[in-house]
Amino acid sequence: MSFFKKSPWLLHYDASSCNGCDIEVLACLTPVYDVERFGIVNTGNPKHADILVITGSVNEPTREVILNLYNQMPHPKVVVAVGVCAATGGIFRDTYNVLGGVDTVLPVDVYVPGCAARPEAIIDGVVKALGILETKAAALKAGAAEPAAVEGSK
Amino acid sequence: MGLGKLSFTALKGVFSKPATRRYPFEARPPIAKSRGRIHFDDGKCTYCSLCELKCPPDAIKVDRQGRVFAIDHLLCILCGACVEACQKGSLSMDAKHGEPWTEKQKLSWHTEAPPKPSGDAAPKA
Amino acid sequence: MGARTIIPFGPQHPVLPEPIHLDLVLEDEKVVEAIPSIGFIHRGLERLAEKKDIHEMAYVSERICGICSFTHGMGYCTAIEAVMKIDVPERGHYLRMIWSEMSRIHSHLLWAGLLADGFGFENLFMQSWRLRERILDLIEETTGGRVIFGSCKIGGSRRDIADDVMARLLKELASLEKDCHAITDTFMEDSTVAKRTRGVGVIAPDDAIALGAVGPMLRASGVASDSRSLGYALYPELSFAPIVEKDGDCWARTAVRVREIYQSFDLIRQCAAKMKPGPVDVKVSGNPSGEYWARLEQPRGEVIYYVKGNGTKNLERYRVRTPTFANVPPLVHMLKNIDLADVPVIVLTIDPCISCTER
Repeated sequence: MSFFKKSPWLLHYDASSCNGCDIEVLACLTPVYDVERFGIVNTGNPKHADILVITGSVNEPTREVILNLYNQMPHPKVVVAVGVCAATGGIFRDTYNVLGGVDTVLPVDVYVPGCAARPEAIIDGVVKALGILETKAAALKAGAAEPAAVEGSK
Repeated sequence: MGLGKLSFTALKGVFSKPATRRYPFEARPPIAKSRGRIHFDDGKCTYCSLCELKCPPDAIKVDRQGRVFAIDHLLCILCGACVEACQKGSLSMDAKHGEPWTEKQKLSWHTEAPPKPSGDAAPKA
Repeated sequence: MGARTIIPFGPQHPVLPEPIHLDLVLEDEKVVEAIPSIGFIHRGLERLAEKKDIHEMAYVSERICGICSFTHGMGYCTAIEAVMKIDVPERGHYLRMIWSEMSRIHSHLLWAGLLADGFGFENLFMQSWRLRERILDLIEETTGGRVIFGSCKIGGSRRDIADDVMARLLKELASLEKDCHAITDTFMEDSTVAKRTRGVGVIAPDDAIALGAVGPMLRASGVASDSRSLGYALYPELSFAPIVEKDGDCWARTAVRVREIYQSFDLIRQCAAKMKPGPVDVKVSGNPSGEYWARLEQPRGEVIYYVKGNGTKNLERYRVRTPTFANVPPLVHMLKNIDLADVPVIVLTIDPCISCTER
């Protein structure tokens, strides 16, 4: 399977989640789900990361932080939106401080459904993201230009 | 920690089963009550739109005239309010969690209206 | 005396799963002041009451926070039930109390793991979270969700626990309680844990009361304050006493939470013994008119819900005061004159829940 070839590191950021998806992402790293079996490590440093896992919908203060983290990550990189809030804003999309899903700011590669997303669903999503990461890596190797940094628009 | 306790813990670690669920290779048996994903059975639906009324994030849209049921799984919070509201048993909760998506998409179903009974029972538009 | 430096802590920090930002003003290695700035997870949930009807708000309320989700739903429902003068059946109350104590066990085990990670005891972190998965399995078996239970509704409970499931649950809880001793003994007896927590972040009882601390934070300073004694749901039927420690340091806060895990196991057993077969919910019709303050004890402390209805299907005002919000001023007080390396441990011992705080 594709996820044995590389050891991708992931960076988790809570955009404005209710904690439900956050603790499920953390649960993936603890003994019962243990994604370190595949060499997946949770890193705190965006420059070390290959996968950006975002939980929760985007609001005004976190928009800048997400852009900052994303642009610091080296290519190739993938974005996984975990939970329905990160995908569309979920139940909070009508609130005044929520801009919407992560895709209002960044190009998202994989959406993981669920409220809160189960660890199994998150693992499925990350495995799917690894396939996309490999195609992106192959394209870069073949000489494709690096995508430009995402600019925030007010 | 004394040496006795230490060796006991070490031996227990060697002989006990690992706590890890080997997820993508072996899925654990689903728990019956688990709220994984909304399942729609289009054969039973009468497009009454009760589920749309009860849905907290407005993930379900029902077109009563056009007989279309649409659900956005990326909006659904899996509360199960629609399943409780459904009178015809057309909505149910799957214990298996939903698959990841690479693009946003609303799933919709449409069935033709059943043939109207002959005679004067035809409903007014 | 060295020059003053300001170190930004957060919003994206490995020790915190959630974003909070602290500006730590340092003189050499000593923190002289901490200036918190919050607002990263503000969603504006209270205003959602104007758009969602009262029954839908129960689901929204649960999503204030994913760790203590059940108590949030229960508090909202308690407040609405008081306004609408609804009598919840006895079994409905007992089910709610069982789930709220289960969520307390899950929350405290989760916190214990994060604290262990905070002082660098990786093994203890993993072991706590391993045990936590077992309580999550029980929660999933009874409610269908792992962290968001979705089992509380206005008028009672949405689900019932069958007798055979209940028997299995009690058996599993008894075995879990036995296994919990392995990690809690480490917290209470291990010298490395004591070195990192004893005498660190001390808050005196008078300061704790004056600064408005709640929950385990207040009880660790020797003040016996537990909102469960106020008698919401059917807590007066159960026998328990608030757990109190005297020292007011990080170790005392750890001890309070560790002992509360066992208290919750005991309360679940008491509930199960007193539960009688019967209906779990009543039919609710009409709209609330009037206002009510509900006070509940969350894993993190006292939480207050204010609802005001005006006779329509939407609430006029919904207000939540969460425990972490109350515990931020004591935290800022504790962060003075300590070593920079102790900051993560002290921040974690208030059991911060930022999404509660900012909603």
